[in-house]
Amino acid sequence: MTLHQLNNHLNSVPETAPTSPALRVDGLKAYYQTRWFGITREVRAVDDITLRIEHDEIYGIAGESSSGKSSLIKTIAGAIRPPLNVVSGSVNFDFGTRKVDLYSLKPEERTAIRWKHLAYIMQGSMSVLNPLRRVRQSFVDFAFRHMGLPMPAFLRAVEEHLLKLHLQPGVLDSYPHELSGGMRQRVVIALATVCRPGFIIADEPTTALDVVVQKSVLTMIREVQREMRASILFVTHDMAVHANLTDRLGIMYAGRLVEEGRTRDLFRNPRHPYTIHLIRSLPRIGDAEPRKGLEGTPPNLADPPPGCRFHPRCPIAMDVCRVVVPPMQSLGGGHRVACHAVTGGTVQ
Amino acid sequence: MLKIFRDLLRFNLEFAIGTLIVSIIVGLSVLSFFSPYPPEDIYVVAPDVPPSWEYWLGTTSRGQDVFWQMTAALRNTLLFGIAVAAISRVISLTIGLVSGYMGGMTDRVLMSINDTFIIIPLFPILVLFYFVMRDSMSWALLALIMAALGWAYDARLIRSVAMSLRTREFTSQCIFSGMSPRQIMTREHLPYVLPIVFSTTLNNMNWSIGMEVTLSVLGFTDINTPTIGSMLYWANQHTALVAGVWWWIALPVIAVMMLFIGLYLLATALNEYIDPRSRLSRMGGAA
Repeated sequence: MTLHQLNNHLNSVPETAPTSPALRVDGLKAYYQTRWFGITREVRAVDDITLRIEHDEIYGIAGESSSGKSSLIKTIAGAIRPPLNVVSGSVNFDFGTRKVDLYSLKPEERTAIRWKHLAYIMQGSMSVLNPLRRVRQSFVDFAFRHMGLPMPAFLRAVEEHLLKLHLQPGVLDSYPHELSGGMRQRVVIALATVCRPGFIIADEPTTALDVVVQKSVLTMIREVQREMRASILFVTHDMAVHANLTDRLGIMYAGRLVEEGRTRDLFRNPRHPYTIHLIRSLPRIGDAEPRKGLEGTPPNLADPPPGCRFHPRCPIAMDVCRVVVPPMQSLGGGHRVACHAVTGGTVQ
Repeated sequence: MLKIFRDLLRFNLEFAIGTLIVSIIVGLSVLSFFSPYPPEDIYVVAPDVPPSWEYWLGTTSRGQDVFWQMTAALRNTLLFGIAVAAISRVISLTIGLVSGYMGGMTDRVLMSINDTFIIIPLFPILVLFYFVMRDSMSWALLALIMAALGWAYDARLIRSVAMSLRTREFTSQCIFSGMSPRQIMTREHLPYVLPIVFSTTLNNMNWSIGMEVTLSVLGFTDINTPTIGSMLYWANQHTALVAGVWWWIALPVIAVMMLFIGLYLLATALNEYIDPRSRLSRMGGAA
């Protein structure tokens, strides 16, 4: 196969009109379950999450630490290990050429769609490269089996891919410690996207970087997305990154999705009291007013409060909030919120 | 690799001395291939001759040239140590990596076997083996038995490293990409533990050589194969010290002590090199 043919082969993804969303998550519950000497403990890290991600869209998930962001996307990527178990719900991908229900697949089928269709840039991706192996060997270890190309063609494809992402193919010969943090992060992104997957999951890929490098990494992610027309599920607690990158945004609190909508709408017109506090806490240029923090800490997910999980910290909590779990309700325009105060019509 | 070797020679006195001693020993054992007498034969030269120009290190009461006898003995002893170390390294690497990576029930079963081997008193067991097998006990068989008994400490050490590697991100990435546990262990984790294994190998050689000498001196091994231990055994049998044939005892003892010291120095130097903390503390100042 010549390089030219190879390129054609890689670019010839059939143009089928997407009818279903790229990702459909329905009523997903994933709990950390431990049982020891007859005592069972359950941490409800992902509780009843329903969301859709369209083709060619960047969807962001925001929330503070321990809100279940990472658990959620581990579950979506199918990269969970006990004690984290899926209790109910489904995760459906539509990769254009292939539709799959992730949790009804056999393990080897699940492995087969990874990399090729589904990429996962893991949290702490600074250390996903084995420090004792050259970058080239990491590419071979992780991606070779999924590409289905002979070794020389595979290596050529890797070099082409790196060039496309403005990385010198020379990085292949270095060890991870010889690369700077931003460089390593870009190599990891290149590694995850080398098979041109249709769906990319990114867990805090910019967290350990300074803002300048963050910007270049974000630019790179956006370029990758535009070029491959992939969908991205992007997780970070950094609201500034969300404002810059994502098309739509979901806010998580204590294992539940509390609000979802177009990123711009969410920043301009947040409805859930938690989102309101989150947005208000962001510094603005020229605004010297001190920011007020939200009292209290996120609840213990092994024993979450009844009703709305936010009510112990909510300034406008009502009696109903302490009893009834607020359902996710649409406000129109793709804006959904789970709050009795909003959907009950008694806004503040 | 060569550069590390050169730097160690230049900057680490222990390493330099250790290398010197061990290379002398290795040189001597290579000389055994040029020996004018077959090492097993007795009464090939005049017995009980003190060191002289004709027989550099004298001759034994069994009519063997001590120098040539010693080269053969050193060769066999060294090979014994290497064989035990190599076989037991294979066992301890396998058990340690599997146990640390798989965890759970596998880990518990393997580690209870491992701990059993750690607490077994080795010397009585080896003597027992000799009494049970007696005539069929050979040099190779003893090496095999020692290897089967001497892997446990290092398996535990390797397991502790593998347990930490299991939780690193790159391991999760390997699992996510669909690498099999065998591939993860051999391709990703093995390079991590090799330096540690290298330094414990030298200590394991020391241990096995010491054990072999002890057993041979007491006559609990195949005493017809020349090793340092069996040389001492025959010297004792012929009451060499009482008879005034001191060179028959003194020279093998000095040789094996040099070998111990050489291997020990190498092991310490490498240990220090591998552990970055001790590398820093050697540099002095606030680390």
